Amino acid sequence: MKKLLSLVLALALALSLVAVAGAEEAKDLPRNETVYFGGQQWGSIVGWNPLSPDNNNAMALSANPRGSREIMFETLYMYNMLDGQLYPLLADGEYVWNDDMTECTVKIKQAAYWSDFEPLTAKDVVATWEACKAINNNTYSSYAPYIEAIEATDDYTVVFKCVKNDEGKPANPLQLLQFFSGVYICQEAWLAKVSERNGGDATAILQDKAEDVVYSGPYGPYFANDQLVAFVRNDDYWGKDASMWGKLPVPKYIGHGIYADNDAALIAFKAGDIDCNQQFIANVQNLWLEDGLKISTYMSEAPYGLCATMPTAWYNMEIPALQVKEVRKAIAMAVDYENIIANAMTNQSPTFAEVPRSLMNPTEGEQAMYDHDAVKDLQWVGKDIEGAKALLDAAGIVDTDGDGYRELNGEKISLNACCPNGWTDWQAAMEIVAAAGQNIGLDIQTYYPEWSVYQTVFTAASQTEYAIFMYSPPGAQPASPWARVRAFMSSEFLGQDGNWNGNWGHWSNERADEIIKAIPLTSDPEELKALYTEATKIYLEEVPSFSLMYRPEQFHAVNESVWTGYPVAGDGLNIPPANLTDGYGVAALYYLRNVD
Amino acid sequence: MSKGTKKYLKKKLIWFIITLIAAVILNFILPRLMRGGGKPMRYDPEIRNATIAQVGYSKEGQTDEIIARGEAEGKKYVDKEVWDAEYDRIAKEKGVYNPRSDVSIHALLAKKVTGDLSLTDEGRQLWCDTYDAIEKELGRDGGLLGEFWHFIEHIFDGTFGKSTSTTRYPNTVSSIISEGIVWTICLQIPAILLGWILGNLLGAIAAYKRKFWDKAVMPASLFVSAIPAFGSAVILLVVFGVNLKWFPVNRAYDTGMIPAFNWNFISNVLYHYQLPFWSIVLISIGGQAVGMRSMSIYELNADYVKYSRFLGIKDKRIVRYVFRNAMLPQVTGLAMSIGTSIGGALVAETIFSYPGLGMKMYAAISENDYNTVSGIALIITIMVLIAAFLLDLIYAVIDPRVKAAQFD
Repeated sequence: MKKLLSLVLALALALSLVAVAGAEEAKDLPRNETVYFGGQQWGSIVGWNPLSPDNNNAMALSANPRGSREIMFETLYMYNMLDGQLYPLLADGEYVWNDDMTECTVKIKQAAYWSDFEPLTAKDVVATWEACKAINNNTYSSYAPYIEAIEATDDYTVVFKCVKNDEGKPANPLQLLQFFSGVYICQEAWLAKVSERNGGDATAILQDKAEDVVYSGPYGPYFANDQLVAFVRNDDYWGKDASMWGKLPVPKYIGHGIYADNDAALIAFKAGDIDCNQQFIANVQNLWLEDGLKISTYMSEAPYGLCATMPTAWYNMEIPALQVKEVRKAIAMAVDYENIIANAMTNQSPTFAEVPRSLMNPTEGEQAMYDHDAVKDLQWVGKDIEGAKALLDAAGIVDTDGDGYRELNGEKISLNACCPNGWTDWQAAMEIVAAAGQNIGLDIQTYYPEWSVYQTVFTAASQTEYAIFMYSPPGAQPASPWARVRAFMSSEFLGQDGNWNGNWGHWSNERADEIIKAIPLTSDPEELKALYTEATKIYLEEVPSFSLMYRPEQFHAVNESVWTGYPVAGDGLNIPPANLTDGYGVAALYYLRNVD
Repeated sequence: MSKGTKKYLKKKLIWFIITLIAAVILNFILPRLMRGGGKPMRYDPEIRNATIAQVGYSKEGQTDEIIARGEAEGKKYVDKEVWDAEYDRIAKEKGVYNPRSDVSIHALLAKKVTGDLSLTDEGRQLWCDTYDAIEKELGRDGGLLGEFWHFIEHIFDGTFGKSTSTTRYPNTVSSIISEGIVWTICLQIPAILLGWILGNLLGAIAAYKRKFWDKAVMPASLFVSAIPAFGSAVILLVVFGVNLKWFPVNRAYDTGMIPAFNWNFISNVLYHYQLPFWSIVLISIGGQAVGMRSMSIYELNADYVKYSRFLGIKDKRIVRYVFRNAMLPQVTGLAMSIGTSIGGALVAETIFSYPGLGMKMYAAISENDYNTVSGIALIITIMVLIAAFLLDLIYAVIDPRVKAAQFD
């Protein structure tokens, strides 16, 4: 028996040694040379393939118009949500439109080169588009309706040709800007190699792990397993040229521990194992006020972060009761928004008294784009139970059978208020919406399906399972606020399955559609403002949906135990709180310094 | 090897195989029972067009304005029920019963087909084609039976199929298992064995020494064992991890460490090992101790003990005899407890974010990743079966009466 025991123990030990010895020879990350991120990467990475959406490699590959992660792969321009501008990265200077906005010319920086020291040229931009086209990946499906062709007129000049509509106008010039900040440029030679080794087969190319990928950014792969993803600085990075940053980013390593869940990540953040954390932390101010930790946020006072989007409750227009405008408006009027903002968001959102509801996010740039006074009379503050009741009474929606609930055409109005299970701040908001319904005699019950099911139902062309349900419109990106107006009101998404674009309640309004069509082709600021104001008016009158709170596009809390010099509001650097990596937020990596 | 032993082995092996087959089938069926989203989503463009040609457009999802505009253009609109019935009739005719409603494929698809292309006919076609391609890749295109053969096929090629989780696809299930299995084995086998040994020792001591051991330590260990696995793990975590800060509360080693064969790394692993290890050991002690205590008391009153005492044999030696005899049923107890211990230990892994199979399983369940759930459950089943089989063999060696009984 003893022998057996010792045998088993020896076997276990041997197995663990094999596991350990099997790993690559890389050195531990020195703490004071590594910036650790949190809240971005969950589970081990799958691959390094910039053509594929299935890499689960958030630190290397997060292409998004609102700010692509620029540490390993790079886009032509970097979006800055602080001023809504695009800053050149691989591009050299401003993009130039021709007169009728059907063609746009972008110059490429002559200093740029790849991690294999080959120069980065206009041909690489063209090859990237052609490679996406050949395998019909998500990048191509997103931009093909707007980009007809991308051509290189010389080594450092790229011309983007827009798809034209029936009137000979560009289909949507704003979408091209999204391409500039939202698509990683890949190397032509590497693309050819990948295509060749997979025999040109689209599925095989998409599933290629691309461990030999050539990149242009300042960091390259260092180590990855199911506990950690780490990157090491490429000291030969082209961006140290004076035409770009003029120096290398400060941290030698970038690491992201892989945690089981939000709670585990929060423990690590508090312990100083994470420097920059993208995670919603309820009552974040308590971390420094009560716990005395060296943790801070972009703003030292509420709302602590830069809110750029607004989680919204959508009304399902297939539910008869919600086709009645007064019901929609009454529910929206009765909801206690201050309660939502104070409790669900723990004040990490401006209130609707501070930033009145509209189609705009709370950033200064967008707020200036519509006429606040023109829609003043249409605003509601919330928690207006009497007003809501009066509105319903006036519309003839009353309780006829005395059960305490109002009826529509003799049928009791019963609705559900849904959001994904486990999204606790949203769930808290839905509870408050349900309570508002009860207060005005509408039977609203909460319902929290799992996300995997939720996402297939609310994106379906048609569904009657969710009556009031939550999702966020696009936040800050080059095409906003137009992109958000469209997501809120455009009827082009009706009847579309797998719809991730917007108007999930399937509402439609002819005038709103006309405005949405007109905005991308309008450049006169006054005219634009008039259009946005009119759209806001329709939105507030018709209430196809209503926002419950404002929310940062990404959360951004930092622990200053090891690093300091993070961007803060009012530091004059104009670097957005985008986790030191996204869009123009990557500039923050050049200002970090060690705590003494 | 005697004839009897061979016969015994053969018999055990047959039962082993039967159990394994049953386990494979259960592992396939159970996770798929929880699959959501069975309601058909009427996507198929071909069937859709045929339906429109037959009865017109559905009023579903259209506002009065749109209908009015459509009717002005000469379109016909019918109620949702009528339209759906016609769609389903055509679908049935074509042999498509539940078109494109698989939740996990939708999740993968949401990343693959993005943007406004889905507004056009080509876009819709791309959406459907991509769905079909993923469905085929995952072996879901041939109904449940087809999926079963796909599952069996991939058991034999050792990959267990592809993960359908949005974060793991297109990795194979075997690659996920290989990340976690070593951690699970290294955590569980020593912990289960140590729990068993300590439990037996405690039982024997309680029976023999009585007094303090029987009145205090024994009930205390029983109390600890009665706490469910997640409870005891959380208590250890809060007391020793969060409050006293003696041990790290999660992970198998520090975040910035790169696994390497050196003392620095191994000591760090051992440091992180403590809380999950003891949480498993503690809960398995009590159950074993109770059995051992009763057996020992029974043996202590046996004639041979009395006779030995009468002969003046030293206590120490008598205890050894008693212990050996009382042990026999405990080996069976170990075989039986392995199954339950593994279940509890997997829970401990999720609480301490220990990167073993328990964590992978937890993540897979929350992402509807059936292939991974089946694969991990199967691997665990096989490990438990093998352990039980080995113990059966050992039992035959240490207690010849068992083998003899098989002849009857």
